Amino acid sequence: MTRSEAGTSQDVLGTQKAGPAARRSRLRAIVDIPEFGVIAACVLVFVIVTILQPRFANAGNLQVIGLDLANYGILTIGVGVVILTSGIDLSPGSVVALCSVVSAYLNVNAGVPVGLTIVFSILIGAVIGYLHGWFVTRLDVPPFAITLVTLTAAAGGALALTSGQPISGVAFAYQDLTLSKVAGIPVPDIIFVAVAVVAWILLERTYIGRQIYAVGGNREAARLAGIPVRRRLVLTYVISGACAGLVAVMVIGRVGVGDPSVGSGWELDAIAGAVIGGVSLYGGEGRIVGMVFGILLLMLINNALIVLNVNPYYQQVALGLVLGVAIVADRIRARSRGQARPRGIPIFGAKGSPPPAAAAENTAT
Amino acid sequence: MTESAASHVSQGNADGVSLRRVSKTYGLATVLQVDELTFANGEVTGIVGENGAGKSTMLGILAGTVPPNPGGEVVINGEPVPPGSPSASQAAGVAMVSQEFPLVGQLSVAENLTLGMRPEHGGFFFNRKSVATVARGMLEPVNLDIDPYAPVSTLSIPARQLLEVAKALGRSPKLLILDEPTSALGPVEADLVIGIAKEHAANGGAVIFVGHRLEEVREAADRVVVLRNGRLVADMPVAEASDARLIREMVGREHLATVTADHSGLARPASVFTAEDLTAEGLGPVSLSVSEGEVLGIAGLMGSGRSRLMHTIFGAIPRTGGTMVLAGTPYAPRNAGQAVEAGVALVPEDRKQQSILANAPVRWNVTLATLRRLTSRGFFSPKAERVRAKEFAGRTGARFASIEQPIGSLSGGNQQRVIFAKWFAAEPRLLLLDEPTRGVDVGAKAEIYGLIDEARARGMAVIVASSELEELFRLSDQIVVLRHGRIGRVLTKDQFSKEQVLLMASGVEEIP
Repeated sequence: MTRSEAGTSQDVLGTQKAGPAARRSRLRAIVDIPEFGVIAACVLVFVIVTILQPRFANAGNLQVIGLDLANYGILTIGVGVVILTSGIDLSPGSVVALCSVVSAYLNVNAGVPVGLTIVFSILIGAVIGYLHGWFVTRLDVPPFAITLVTLTAAAGGALALTSGQPISGVAFAYQDLTLSKVAGIPVPDIIFVAVAVVAWILLERTYIGRQIYAVGGNREAARLAGIPVRRRLVLTYVISGACAGLVAVMVIGRVGVGDPSVGSGWELDAIAGAVIGGVSLYGGEGRIVGMVFGILLLMLINNALIVLNVNPYYQQVALGLVLGVAIVADRIRARSRGQARPRGIPIFGAKGSPPPAAAAENTAT
Repeated sequence: MTESAASHVSQGNADGVSLRRVSKTYGLATVLQVDELTFANGEVTGIVGENGAGKSTMLGILAGTVPPNPGGEVVINGEPVPPGSPSASQAAGVAMVSQEFPLVGQLSVAENLTLGMRPEHGGFFFNRKSVATVARGMLEPVNLDIDPYAPVSTLSIPARQLLEVAKALGRSPKLLILDEPTSALGPVEADLVIGIAKEHAANGGAVIFVGHRLEEVREAADRVVVLRNGRLVADMPVAEASDARLIREMVGREHLATVTADHSGLARPASVFTAEDLTAEGLGPVSLSVSEGEVLGIAGLMGSGRSRLMHTIFGAIPRTGGTMVLAGTPYAPRNAGQAVEAGVALVPEDRKQQSILANAPVRWNVTLATLRRLTSRGFFSPKAERVRAKEFAGRTGARFASIEQPIGSLSGGNQQRVIFAKWFAAEPRLLLLDEPTRGVDVGAKAEIYGLIDEARARGMAVIVASSELEELFRLSDQIVVLRHGRIGRVLTKDQFSKEQVLLMASGVEEIP
C-alpha cells in the first residue's frame, strides 16, 4: 500500500501542465521513453569513435558492422520474445551451427536447391523451438535447463555430423543472398529490418503479442483472463528457433561453407542485446525498438574496440561492463517509477505465482 | 531533545513503542507526518484509515522496511531503534504480520517458522526433528493443525495467514504488528487472531491491529487511532469508537456505506446457470442454480472450498464430474479461455497474484480479456483500444491520472474497479466474484457493491463468495453455505442470520 500511496500522489503531479512548460514536457516525454538511453548511447558511441578514428564510419566498415548486426539482431529478437515471457533460450548459437551444417549438407550432397534449404533450415529451427516449448509447458522443465540441453547437444550434433570438417562446395546463391547489397545496404540487414517489423507488428498490434506480454507479466492473471498460456509460451520458443534457422542460412553465405563450429557463444550476445535494450529478465517488459538498438550498441562497441586496436581481452571486459550498466540502469529506472519490485529472482520460467488459492485449499479448518 | 515534542500525547516514554516526529515523503508527496504517537505496552492499538491514509507507511517505518525522513525516531521502551533496517527492528522486538514479510513457498512450514532463528543447542546445523517440535509449539496458539514438514506452497491462503501470525508470535515480540491479519480469514479464525492479539497485550506486549472491518478493530483494540492523508486525526478509547465516528474521521465527511439496493420487484426469471452434482478434487458434489439478475452468495469457513468452487465453475480447476448448463446450453469448460468465451468471468480473490499485470498500463489491464474481440483480421488499433479502455474504466468509476499509468500504482479499490471494467467489457452472463472487496477501503467497498448491483441490473447472474457475512447479506438474494466442499440448505433473504450461517458452516447443523 506504500506504493499506491506514492502513486496516488503522483497522479496529481502527473497531470499535464499547459503554457511555457509545454516544450520542456515534450523533451521530458522523449527522455522518458524507456529506450532513450540505449538509442542515445548508440549515437554517442558512433560520434565519439568516428572522431577518434574516421575509418570507423567508412562504408566498408559500416557494411561489416551491418552483416554482424543482421545475424545477431535476428537472434536477439527471437530470444527477446522468449525473455518477455520470463523464459530464456540458450540454444540459438548451437541451432545456427546445426541448421547451417544440415542446410549445406542437403545442398551439396542431395542437390536440394538453396531456396528449399532456407525453408528447411527455418523449419528445423522452429521444430527445435517447439520441442523446447513442449518440455517447458507440458513437463514444467525450466527453460534454462531444456535450452541448455540443446545448447550442448545441437553444437555437438553439428560437429558429429561433419566430423568437425566444414562442408564446402555450397551453391553460390548463398553468397549472393548474403553479400549482395541494395543501395549499399547488405541484403541481410534488409531481412533483419523485415524480421523486426514483423515482430513489432506481432507484439504491438496483435492480441497474440499482448497475450505474450501478459504471460510474462503475471502468468496466473493471464491464465485467469482466459489466455492460452501454454500456446503463447510455445509460440515464443518457435519464433526463437525459426530466427536461428534463418540466421543459419545467412551464415553459410558469409563464410562460404557449412561450418559446424559457427555460432558458438552467440546466444549470450543476443541475450545481452535484448537486456541492454530494456527487456526485463523478469518478463513482461521490453520492446522491439529496444532490442534492435540494444544489439546495435553491442555491435558498434564491438567493432569500435577492433577499429581502435584495443587489446582483444579488454573487449570482453568492455562488453561485460556495458551489460552491467544496462541492467543497473534498468533497475534504477524501475525504482524511480515506483514499480512493484519483482518477486524473487528471475529463475527463467519457474512458475511466477503460487498455485491458485483454490488448488491448495486442502488444509483442515 | 526528546522532551519538547512529547507533550502531545499522554503515554509515558519508556513504556511502549513511540514514533517521534516521523514523516515520509515520496517525491513531493508527504504520505505520513506524525509528531508523537505511542503504542503502550499491555494495550492493543487499532489503526484505521482509508487506503492511502499512511497506515502501511507507518507500519513499514516501525518494521524498518521503510526509512523515514531524517530526524524521525522510533523508540522502543526508551531505546531508539536505528531507522530503515528490518533486522535492527526485529532485533529490537518488532514482529509484523503482513504481505511485506512473505513466506518462502518452497520451504516447509517448520522451516518458515524458524527462518532466521538460530539452532537452540548453539551448533551450526539444524536438527530436523527439533525444528519440527519447535514449529508445533508455535502452531499451537493459532490452532493450526498442519504437518510441519508440508511445503508452504501447498497451504491455502488462510492457513498461510495463520502461519504468519504464528511466525510473528513465536519471536515473543515487544511490539506485535498485525496488518489486516483477518482479511483472508473466516469468522472463526478471525476471532482466534483477535484473541491472540488481546492475549499478547495482556502479557505486557504492545500490539497494533490494522483492519478494514471496523467491528473487528473495535473488538480487538483498547484504543483506536485514525489516520487520514498521512496525519493522525483522531485518538480515542474504544468505547467512543462508533462506526459513524470512525468513518467520519476516516473520510473526513459523513459517508455511510449503506446504500441498500432494491431488488424486490424482480420476479424469479429462468435460471442462467445451473450445476448438477459438480465435483472436483476436494469439492462436491455441489448443485446450485442462479438466475438472471440474481446474486447467489457462498459462505463458509476457510478451507471449505469457496475458491475451489469458483475456479471449478470457471474451468481453472479440472472438473471430475457433474454437469453444468449455461444459458440453456451444456457448459463444460476445460480451461479458463473456454469459460470466458462461453460468457463467464471470474474476479479472483488475490488481486496482486491472480488479477493484475502490476507494471502494465491500466489500458492493458482493461482490455486483457477482450482484446481479441477488438481485432479485425488479427490486428487491433491502439486508438480503438484506448477508447474502449477509457470507456469501460470510466463506467466503473476507476480513478487514475492516465490510462497509460501502471495499474500497480493505483489504490486497491481502484485496481479492483479496473478488474471489474475488464470483465464488464467481456459482457459475461455469469459473473463469479471471489472476495470482491478484499483489501479495499470503506468508500471503495460501497462503490464495488454498486458495481455488483449494476451487474445484476444488466441481467448478469452473479455468484459471490465472501468471508464477510455482512457483505453477503447486503449483496445476496440467496446464500448457500459450503462445508468441506459440500453445500447445505439454500438460505433465502428472510432466513439470513449470522447464527444460522455459522451453525451450518461449522457443522452444528448437519449438511446432508
